[in-house]
Amino acid sequence: MIEVTQVLLLGLALGGVYALMSSGMTLVFGVMRIVNLAHAAFIIMAAYIAFWMFKLWKVDPIVSILVTMPVMFLVGALYYRVLFASRADKSGFTDITVLVTFASALVIEGLLSYFFTGIYRSTNPVYASKPFLVGPFFIPQSQVYATVISIVLIVSLWLFLTYTRVGNAIRATMQNRNSAQVVGVNVTWVSMITFGIGLALAGAAGSLLSFIFTFFPSKHVAWIGMLMCLVVLGGMGSLMGAMLSSFLLAVIAAYVSFYLGPAWAPITFYLALFLILLFRPQGLLGKKVEG
Amino acid sequence: MEKISSSEGAVPMQVQAHKSAPRQTSKRLIVLGTLVVLALFPLLQITFDGYNYWLHMLLYVFLYVIMATSWNIIGGYAGYISLGHNVFFGVGAYLAGMVFVFFQISPFLTAPVAGILTMVGGLLFGLIALRTRGSAFIISTIALVLLVAELLDNWKLTGGTNGLAMSMISLEGQYAKIPYYYYLLVIMVLSIITSYLIRHSKFGLALRAISQDETKADVAGIPTRRYKILAFGISGLFIGMAGAIWGSYLTYLRPSIFLPVNIGTTIVLMAILGGKGTVSGPAIGAAIMIAVNEFVVAKLGATELNIVVTGLILIFVLLYFPEGIVGTLKARNLLPSFLDWD
Repeated sequence: MIEVTQVLLLGLALGGVYALMSSGMTLVFGVMRIVNLAHAAFIIMAAYIAFWMFKLWKVDPIVSILVTMPVMFLVGALYYRVLFASRADKSGFTDITVLVTFASALVIEGLLSYFFTGIYRSTNPVYASKPFLVGPFFIPQSQVYATVISIVLIVSLWLFLTYTRVGNAIRATMQNRNSAQVVGVNVTWVSMITFGIGLALAGAAGSLLSFIFTFFPSKHVAWIGMLMCLVVLGGMGSLMGAMLSSFLLAVIAAYVSFYLGPAWAPITFYLALFLILLFRPQGLLGKKVEG
Repeated sequence: MEKISSSEGAVPMQVQAHKSAPRQTSKRLIVLGTLVVLALFPLLQITFDGYNYWLHMLLYVFLYVIMATSWNIIGGYAGYISLGHNVFFGVGAYLAGMVFVFFQISPFLTAPVAGILTMVGGLLFGLIALRTRGSAFIISTIALVLLVAELLDNWKLTGGTNGLAMSMISLEGQYAKIPYYYYLLVIMVLSIITSYLIRHSKFGLALRAISQDETKADVAGIPTRRYKILAFGISGLFIGMAGAIWGSYLTYLRPSIFLPVNIGTTIVLMAILGGKGTVSGPAIGAAIMIAVNEFVVAKLGATELNIVVTGLILIFVLLYFPEGIVGTLKARNLLPSFLDWD
């Protein structure tokens, strides 16, 4: 029983980070119908920023969020402006974005490995290797911090979307792009902001990831596989769905890797994806949309 | 006037065909001539030696022409973009490779069977994945290639990440590449002929209708689901065969050789660069990409930059040049007739 609870705790402690990573991706899809396959590559890019800040100036990776978020926000807004803004209303847009963002991911991967080599990196602040001991259980401190910060960020995102003017405009665009335009929302601008926010979340995720996992440029392929599963399982464009699927799969993967071995954890994600495509293609909390 | 026998034989078409009859003949001559040159090329190696590098490059071209042409059947004609088509490549290679390692039956014999089994696998996967459209389908194809790579990485029987080693073909170095050369050449020609036949069949017409507007195609009575699955399966047939041959050519099988995601992307890039939905486009795209890769990118030194250039070309082509070389030239009537295989 202790064993079962212990694994559950470890799974939950990772769920928050997964949720943070997938929320940015699902938000971008919800508003712009862009499947951002470069999301994981941007996360790794942010992780490198956190890594170098830690290595060169001893900046704590959690503090580096203050840098990675705004930097990635700008990168995202610019990226959207340059590649997608003028094409958003064309037919077949979503299919093109999948390929373009995937190609972008390869470009980012290539540049990162050219400049920083393929060496496995991670930041190691003092809390990275210490666990919290609660009764018979232990939970790595780093994962607890990361999940708490992730939840704080996701709640702030939710508050922002619900209570601010810009947030309302974003949600309106999410519900119906054309109608939002009719009532006076500048959808191009909203899209740019949203892409920025999506990547800002990726930036924060990168900072947090830098002390939980080791990373290297081509790692983004494994991460994007996992993120796609989370986003599709939750229902593409659904923030609540992404949260739910993140915690669900984090826990399932924790059990699988505990009882069958860590190699099976990624396989769990892909199988979950195929099962959901087979039985409920719109995802757990998704609406039925064509895309 | 003679009686119109062809099914698409409206009168103006017939007239046009008569006008371009000499061009048709020269086109056939050029295409046949190219084939004859390719078929005779190994003679140079047999007589003079020293052409192994060129044989190797041509093998590469054949391989990618097969993959891009096959991809085009589902990705170009039907408009269902698969980013994981190298999964067929890997599965074909491993099927034939394992039969060779455990039962000593040459991949030269088992390649067609490997191709057919790969196709069956494609049909099964299609049953699941082709319930989705657009981005969800693309995602499922990436997930498939990641899943298969992960399984092979962890499967003891196939040696995991270390892979399987196969013994070399028992020929001297001077001749060792030649059987592979002819085998792949034949598969390539078959794949292009298949693509041509599909393009000119009712099936191909239905696939193109699906890519234009699937709902309308459905309403018009086309069994869209069955056709899509069939197209997906067929597109795996020749890639699986080529994979079997390629595994034996390399003499070792490793997931990291057959199943990295960027091979799947390269296939898509080649087909789109050449012109998706056309018969000759993917073949031309493949030849150009390999030439660029070998003679330009490799000179830059670092393989990391290789990915960067592939990615940048793909972005550029997708955004500014979506019809590809053949498509664009054809729309402007600039396409030399020997490149127009439609």
